[in-house]
Amino acid sequence: MADDSSKPGAPIPRTTRPMSEALLNEKWDRCFSSMLIRSGLGLSFGIVFSVLLFKRRAWPAYVGLGFGAGRAWEECDNSFKRAAAPSKDGLRVIRP
Amino acid sequence: MLRASILRARPAVRSIAPAVSPQWRVARRFFADEKKPTTETAVPEPAPLTTPSNPSPGDNAISQSDIPKPPPAPRTGRSAPVEQPATTPPTGPGFASVASDPKPAKPKKRRFRRFLIQLFILSALGYAGGVYYSLVSDNFHDFFTEYIPFGEDAVGYFEEREFRKRFPGRAGQPRLHPQVTGESKVTIPSKHGLTSRVAEENGSDLAAKGPHVSALGDSKPKASTPKSKDEPKVASKTPAKGAQEKKQEEARKEKPIESTSHDLLPKDKAEPKKEAPAPVPAAPAAPSTPIKPIDHLNVPAAGEPIVQDVVKILNDIITVINSDSAGSRYNSALDKAKSELGKVVSDINLLKENLQKSAEDSIKSAHSEFDAAAKELVRRLEMQMQDQETHWKEEYENERERLSQIYKEKLQSELDAAQKVYEQRLKNELLEQSISLQRSFTSSVRDRVEAERDGRLGKLNELSSSVHELEELTAEWNSVVDANLKTQHLVVAVEAVKSALENQVTPQPFITELSALKEIAADDPVVGAAIASINPAAYQRGIPNSAQLIDRFRRVAQEVRKAALLPEDAGVTSHLASLAMSKVLFKKSGLAVGQDVEAVLARAEVLLEEGDLDGAAREMNGLQGWAKVLSKDWLSECRRVLEVKQALDVIATEARLQSLLVE
Repeated sequence: MADDSSKPGAPIPRTTRPMSEALLNEKWDRCFSSMLIRSGLGLSFGIVFSVLLFKRRAWPAYVGLGFGAGRAWEECDNSFKRAAAPSKDGLRVIRP
Repeated sequence: MLRASILRARPAVRSIAPAVSPQWRVARRFFADEKKPTTETAVPEPAPLTTPSNPSPGDNAISQSDIPKPPPAPRTGRSAPVEQPATTPPTGPGFASVASDPKPAKPKKRRFRRFLIQLFILSALGYAGGVYYSLVSDNFHDFFTEYIPFGEDAVGYFEEREFRKRFPGRAGQPRLHPQVTGESKVTIPSKHGLTSRVAEENGSDLAAKGPHVSALGDSKPKASTPKSKDEPKVASKTPAKGAQEKKQEEARKEKPIESTSHDLLPKDKAEPKKEAPAPVPAAPAAPSTPIKPIDHLNVPAAGEPIVQDVVKILNDIITVINSDSAGSRYNSALDKAKSELGKVVSDINLLKENLQKSAEDSIKSAHSEFDAAAKELVRRLEMQMQDQETHWKEEYENERERLSQIYKEKLQSELDAAQKVYEQRLKNELLEQSISLQRSFTSSVRDRVEAERDGRLGKLNELSSSVHELEELTAEWNSVVDANLKTQHLVVAVEAVKSALENQVTPQPFITELSALKEIAADDPVVGAAIASINPAAYQRGIPNSAQLIDRFRRVAQEVRKAALLPEDAGVTSHLASLAMSKVLFKKSGLAVGQDVEAVLARAEVLLEEGDLDGAAREMNGLQGWAKVLSKDWLSECRRVLEVKQALDVIATEARLQSLLVE
């Protein structure tokens, strides 16, 4: 009896809000993905710049990769730092 | 009514009768109706019985005839003749014998004694036969009553007797009686002897009045006849005195004899009249007879004043002549004058007589007419009376019949009504009786029941009281049982919730169980408060059981350990470092002492394993930083479970309390 009634309602709430213990793992996933994407974008931009402007030189490609990886790192670091503090979503921040 | 009418009618007849009666009595022999009322009733009734004897009729007749005259004179006159009783035989009704008596008695008594006796017997027999036959035959009756003396009387007597025998009711008033009495009184003498003779003398009278009337009527004519006879005698006294006187005497002698036998009345009447004038001539005749050649004139009818004057003058003349003694000279003339005067006087007398006669005749005729008229009137009246009587009788009978009918009907209806009323009353009485009987029966039953109740059934009260107590007890126990049941239900419901929570694989909502619990504990405020304290998310989503909680705690503990070495505001590098360092970190176990994450986790795990969820939650709640953030969900779940558990515990204790409170 209880089983019949509970079955439909049980899985619904899970989707909306992640469980608390999975917070950190999620951040790591996002960091890695953004790292890849941004480093790949920087690399590609550097390669294009090197081909077009710098006559096929190697360093614009590395610079681009560096930019991309740096940006992803920063973003990841920020997310970790903000997440440690209690979340202020929906709260009005009054600055002096 | 009838009686009254008759009474009314009678006086009328009477009133007529007395007015006429005096004349009738003189002239006529019947009119019984008149006589009866006038004369005493006692007299006429015995009369028919007495009439047969000779003297009584005579007496009656005389008395009747004498009524107009002063009574004493006729009696003395009648009593004067003594021959009457002597002549009449003492016994026997026979009138024939009376008639025949004087004739044979006078000549020879001795020789014809036997013959006389025979004759008497024969006549008596014949008379009796005649009476009998007259009763049988009408013709003979007429003859007998008319021509035989006392025939009508005798016949009437017998008829009366027959009538009485036939109608005993009317015996008091004899129908024929008056006639009979009248006849006996008046008619008989006149009819027998004198009728025939007088009829010859004054035939006109008889012719006018008939045989019946003649009987009474004769008396007057007779009275007159002697007068007339006398007058001529007196008138002719002077010429033939002696002869006249002799004749007169003879007539006188003869007449009484005849009259005694046949008619007493006329004789009586005649005698005074005769004797009245007789002295007159005697007185003057006396002086004339002795010497004087010329007598004083003597007129018998000197009653007339004129005649008397004339006679007086003549007598004066005669006296003068006598005194002169020249009678011889005037003798013849005087004689002539005397005779002339006598003639004149006789003529006057005759004229008077005639006049008187005619007057009498007229009176008689008038009387007869009057009588006839009266008779007719009476007859008519009687007829009318009879008619009226019959009519009234009929009416009376009809009326009586009708009245009796009506009364019968009334009586019948009244009887019916009375019967109905009586029946109704009876019914009512019956009903009342039945009601009273029922009442008495019920009352008696009640009394008996009361008596019974007082005795044996008196214990019923105790029984009922005990039963009442028992009922109360059972009611109390019922309430107890009810409360118990209630608490039991509560407990069962709580148990059901608990079991549902315990036995689930995955957290499932238990709203139905909780609602059932709430319903059972309907008005319990404690239960209501307890249920209200539960977070709605708990029963809406369900709560995990202890196994699941522990399982989840292990996963949470791994993550918490990863972040156990993180400083505050840690970045990617610190995270990477803590991640790497936590792998090499030694694990603590048991109730580790210290406030670091590893020690808390170890204690919590131990507490969880011991079942102390509350303690574990408290330990986990002591974490800080990323560790607390990571274990937040688990903690909330723990709290929810704890809330539910607490509420259920409260309800269970409440139920227990209830069950304890019952008594």
